[in-house]
Amino acid sequence: MRVELLGLPRERAGVAELELEADTLGQLLTALAIRFPSFNELISVDRLRPSFTANLNGDRFISDPATRLTESDSVLILSADAGG
Amino acid sequence: MPFGYHGCYLRIDVSDGSVDRIPIPETVLRQFLGGSGLGVWLLLQEGDPAADALAPASPLVFAFSPLVGSPLTTSAKFAVVSKSPLTNRINDSLASSGFAIAGKRCGCDAIVIVGRAAAPSALIIDDGRVSLHIVEHLRGASCQITEAAVKERLGAGYQVASIGPAGENAVRYATISHDGRHAGRGGSGAVLGSKNVKAIAVRGTQRCEWAHPRELTEISRDLSKKSFGPATAKYRELGTAANLLTFNRLGALPTRNFQSGTFDEAVSISPEEIRTTHSRTRASCVACTIGCEHIYGIGAEPGVRLEYESLFALGSLCGVSDPDAVLRASRLCDELGIDTISAGGTIAFAMECVQRGWLDESWLTFGSGDAMLRAIDLVGRREGVGDLLAEGSRRAADVIGHDSIAFAPQVKGLEIPGYEPRALQTMALGFAVGARGADHNRSGAYEVDFSDKVDRRHATLEAVRYAIETEDKAALMDSLILCKFLRGVFADFYAESADMLQQVTGWDATADELRETARRIVGIKRRFNLMAGWTRDEDTLPPRFLDTPLPSDPAAAINRQQLEALVAEYHRQRGW
Repeated sequence: MRVELLGLPRERAGVAELELEADTLGQLLTALAIRFPSFNELISVDRLRPSFTANLNGDRFISDPATRLTESDSVLILSADAGG
Repeated sequence: MPFGYHGCYLRIDVSDGSVDRIPIPETVLRQFLGGSGLGVWLLLQEGDPAADALAPASPLVFAFSPLVGSPLTTSAKFAVVSKSPLTNRINDSLASSGFAIAGKRCGCDAIVIVGRAAAPSALIIDDGRVSLHIVEHLRGASCQITEAAVKERLGAGYQVASIGPAGENAVRYATISHDGRHAGRGGSGAVLGSKNVKAIAVRGTQRCEWAHPRELTEISRDLSKKSFGPATAKYRELGTAANLLTFNRLGALPTRNFQSGTFDEAVSISPEEIRTTHSRTRASCVACTIGCEHIYGIGAEPGVRLEYESLFALGSLCGVSDPDAVLRASRLCDELGIDTISAGGTIAFAMECVQRGWLDESWLTFGSGDAMLRAIDLVGRREGVGDLLAEGSRRAADVIGHDSIAFAPQVKGLEIPGYEPRALQTMALGFAVGARGADHNRSGAYEVDFSDKVDRRHATLEAVRYAIETEDKAALMDSLILCKFLRGVFADFYAESADMLQQVTGWDATADELRETARRIVGIKRRFNLMAGWTRDEDTLPPRFLDTPLPSDPAAAINRQQLEALVAEYHRQRGW
């Protein structure tokens, strides 16, 4: 599936998007933490830390590590604080 | 009198230069704290909510807070409170930095200004002694030139707040500027201009003592440490402008006067792109450890502080993709003393009217940076079509007709910030019920939309309590006063706020007390509005948002019945 990184997660990773394989959100986050050591700031085991959030396909926000993902999904990782 | 306060306010009539030092009962301070809360209370004491906002008798309040001058990070803030000439409802705008500290050291918790000076004047408050200096030579000067000139004339130690040409010309969304920042929304600059006051300079030596200095120092150190963490990293490293690409990806970036939620050319004005071609430096307010300000250079020209709200309003909302045009427009607004959100909203509205053939200004087209810059300049000087646009989108729509009010991007007359209501529907409710109109600083309901608590494109009644929670929290932060960018660092906001207040004032404040205080402050704003003529049908959104799904995302739709149900539930839960 496609992972899109926005804002600070993009800064930390140094890329805007990448392809990963995972069946659940928790697996995806674990894989991201392994791929990008700097994501320790964002991810604790299989969950995002409170300052960050995940969105599925640009539609709904998700947080449960057990959330099922499919190959055609696009998962966005972004800052939770949208203050302007 | 509790620690942390002087227990009085200065009432200055600039018509004759008279000054009264008026006590504030401790019960009032405890009930309304400072900033927005105390400011609205004083406004009700001193003025008539039904009077014209620009009448000499209508007060303008600068309110400080118990935390001002303390070592708590981000506490150097002040609220400017008045009736808004744009909305005819309550207006409380906040700004930061040295003016708050120096103003409080004048020995007062607030400054109330009434009357009208005979000539353009600078109001000087030196340790509580008040004088008026005629500054005819500064007529038409920018905010920055005015501030520098007054400082140079008075010498060291003064902090200056000023208005630009827009405030002098009664642009209904003129700002009050200090140290490069603005009490931005709702037209407080026009209110100060109506008093013929071009600048206020404050200097003082009177410090408040803290009830528990050692404990306060410990709390302050801990808060500063937390402010360096991940909860504020976005603001520190990228600034608020980082919202742009995120909102665009979510289809929530207002574009071409809310005709779309995505802007094809968003990347070109994103901070990620601009920083590759423009120099960037960082700055912060006095007494702030976050440092959210990102200042971009344009060649040899002076740098421009760029925030998301300015970026969306002067960029995607007007269809402008030239980053230099957006940066220059932001700087021009700063110089003239104009709220960038209302400027962008009103100009984008005019651009759509031109597009429809309802406004005969063929040069004013979406996408033209030159047109936007020209329009801002005309607004500041109230010349040509600028005289109409200086009135804001609601009044402009009344003049233009053709049912253009249906897409004037405002609530209660205040232009909508950069959060597309159809794509962020808890925020839509926050906008609809906001006491000062569509506002992202008095309602942080977008936080809820950015979570799995709600479906952001299909709000249910469950969203209402969340919207209320964010509104209450904002009311408390605006009265303590603390920067909202700190909100993510608190594990228990009310308990930690109570702890701060205890150490500063000596009160036995509790989390529950502060929850009640927050609701009281929201309530007193409503009371002002009721006295000013508010009716329930004002708590809505313009027809565009209720009649038409977001064209770029048809799933993003909120109809009139849905919004009315949310508003009714909001009123029910508020007990109104």
